[in-house]
Amino acid sequence: MIRFGLPGEEARLLQDTAERFVADRYGLAQRAVMLARPPQEAPAHWREMAALGWLAAPLPRGVGGLGMAPVHLQGLLETLGAGLILEPYGPAIMNCAATLSRLLPRAQAAGALAPMLAGDRVEVLAASPMGQALVQAEPEGDGWALSGTVPLVPGGAAAHAFWVAVDCGAESALAHVPASKAQVRGFRLVDGQAAASACFDGVSCGPRACFTGAADALAHGADMGLWAALAETSGLIGALCRATLDHVKLRQQFGRPIGRFQVVQHRMADMYMHTEEARSMAQLTAEALEEKDAGVRRRLLSAARVKTDAAARAVLRDAVQLHGGMGMTDELAVGHMVKRLLVLAQTGGSRAAHLKRFQASG
Amino acid sequence: MTDLLNSPEDIAFRREIRDFVAAELNPDTRDRIRRGAPLRHEDIARWHKSMYRKGWVAPTWPVQHGGAGWSARQRLIADEELFRLHTPPLPNFGPRMIGPILIRFGSRAQQQRFLPAILSGADWWCQGFSEPGAGSDLASLTTRAVPTDGGWIVTGAKTWTTFAQHANRMFCLVRTDGQVKKQEGISMMLIDMDAPGVSRRPIRLMDGTEEVNEILLDQVFVPCGMVVGEVNRGWTYAKALLEGERLGIGGIGRCKHLLGRVRHMAQGADDALADARLAELEIDIMALEATTLRLLAAAEAGVPLGAETSLLKIRGTEIQQALTELMLDIAGPAALVPVAAGSNEDVFENVVCQFLNWRKLSIYGGSNEIQRTILAGQVLGL
Repeated sequence: MIRFGLPGEEARLLQDTAERFVADRYGLAQRAVMLARPPQEAPAHWREMAALGWLAAPLPRGVGGLGMAPVHLQGLLETLGAGLILEPYGPAIMNCAATLSRLLPRAQAAGALAPMLAGDRVEVLAASPMGQALVQAEPEGDGWALSGTVPLVPGGAAAHAFWVAVDCGAESALAHVPASKAQVRGFRLVDGQAAASACFDGVSCGPRACFTGAADALAHGADMGLWAALAETSGLIGALCRATLDHVKLRQQFGRPIGRFQVVQHRMADMYMHTEEARSMAQLTAEALEEKDAGVRRRLLSAARVKTDAAARAVLRDAVQLHGGMGMTDELAVGHMVKRLLVLAQTGGSRAAHLKRFQASG
Repeated sequence: MTDLLNSPEDIAFRREIRDFVAAELNPDTRDRIRRGAPLRHEDIARWHKSMYRKGWVAPTWPVQHGGAGWSARQRLIADEELFRLHTPPLPNFGPRMIGPILIRFGSRAQQQRFLPAILSGADWWCQGFSEPGAGSDLASLTTRAVPTDGGWIVTGAKTWTTFAQHANRMFCLVRTDGQVKKQEGISMMLIDMDAPGVSRRPIRLMDGTEEVNEILLDQVFVPCGMVVGEVNRGWTYAKALLEGERLGIGGIGRCKHLLGRVRHMAQGADDALADARLAELEIDIMALEATTLRLLAAAEAGVPLGAETSLLKIRGTEIQQALTELMLDIAGPAALVPVAAGSNEDVFENVVCQFLNWRKLSIYGGSNEIQRTILAGQVLGL
């Protein structure tokens, strides 16, 4: 049920902490040092984020989480998005850990999640952006023999293990594969996020590593992962809009700040509207995640992806344009934000894919 | 179209509206609205009487003045349902524009005299703001009021006066002081359309309708008691009037109604491009609604609503205009030929007319360019 309440005290505290974290840890120079490190290294501030309770925050209490609802996490996600963090919060926590919290029986889930939420282990899903299987599983003894490659696994370069969505004929299934058994090629995406391609040819899974009946869990993880990307995008669009506003107030041409020119003012008004609409869609879908009816939930999430992507494109174009030549350089945050937006736009499924899903759900 | 407001109380309220409309709405009126035919005075007047008997004419007024007593959430739902059920929208000028201003700034005598007649429909109001030389630059208006015994003598011209042919009263901005900054010399006056010196010239629009007029004021006497609030404070009241309207001006109900019509037109056409465009516009409406709800929630929690609401006007009108363009695309040449009433092609009967008429949306109520300037100046500090 959509209420559009304002964030509570707890949510505001979480966001304040995140803002301090970003200010202290994520200056452009500090970020450049992190980007120069090999992608296979443990994410720089992962344990600190665990200690702050962020890794446990979105997961249910019964499995070791803090049970915070998405509406209370929106500020945190927006701030981390605006801060261009490089840790795999979306893939490892919002997507993978959320999937496991639904897949496994409670005690087993708590056991599997404990080291992940403590920041000791990174585990991610290996699937298509919308959670479909890209790997085949053939029966082999009591388990499976896997074959196939997932070309892009966000957060995969530093992962200790993969939860591989597999096609085993009948139903949705997951295989738990230690990174040491797969052929993993780590790299950084255009935005600097660590990722990997993972080839599972010839990997054997014992019966204890094979999980069938995973459809609901995968769908839940996909919902949460997509929502996290939308919330991060919303925060990033807002930050890009603010940075551009600061620029047009300061930058002088023709003897006055360029923000005095009406054509620039109207562009800024457009960027502001996109920012507000992206935030509205993030909040709408945060509330929709509580919705019992999966059809409505998915419909709103797909709508939010379509709208947010349009907003992101418009804002990133105008942000570079209004920064002029400076906006083209690597020295300002603008360019880094633009590249991050391009990656987020594909996270959890593209605009085109979600427009199709939206139409099919009508 | 997904209903975002669907709590149990919301659903009960929707049902009350549906039952009321089912019992009261004339089927012929319903059919005209469904087809997008131009509004007729008698359709609106008859529906106004039904709404009056129900106590629903003035959604935003306090109950003690005869308002509906709805929450902001209920107002949005009512707007949505009344459009969905093809009821004719009541004119804004009395219930949504001058009524709230009189409640806030009017004298007791003005309230007692005018508010009941707005509710009952006995009075029809029109708006005398724009002038031939003062459109977007409204504050440069030149209609002059000169003080005389017991009142003012008003001379000038007003234009784009919607439905003045049905109105017996006009709220009007006039210049009462030409020596000060232009915004500070304006007053708001209530003028009787039957007063000597008031004349009307209808303006024919490109869609063939005559819904707007030019009003000439030739030495019209306006008694002192017909000045709203204080003399020379009219600009403040006019701004309050326009801001008060903006939350509704996004026109979510209207957007959804139009979307339903376009979807009906696209049915069976097997046009993938049109279908994708419809889905995108449905999503745009959803974002407009989510933004409206978010701003309302903030307002109810005590964050004052300001110029942010300009974005609702811009987006709401962009969406509606995009829908009328999509109608043209779907109809193709069928929209260009005359259609026999009642024939199977009548789904496209009003497509061109509505496309043409809806160009006004981005012009009136403060053009969309003015709204962007407001956002840049008042929200972004540029």
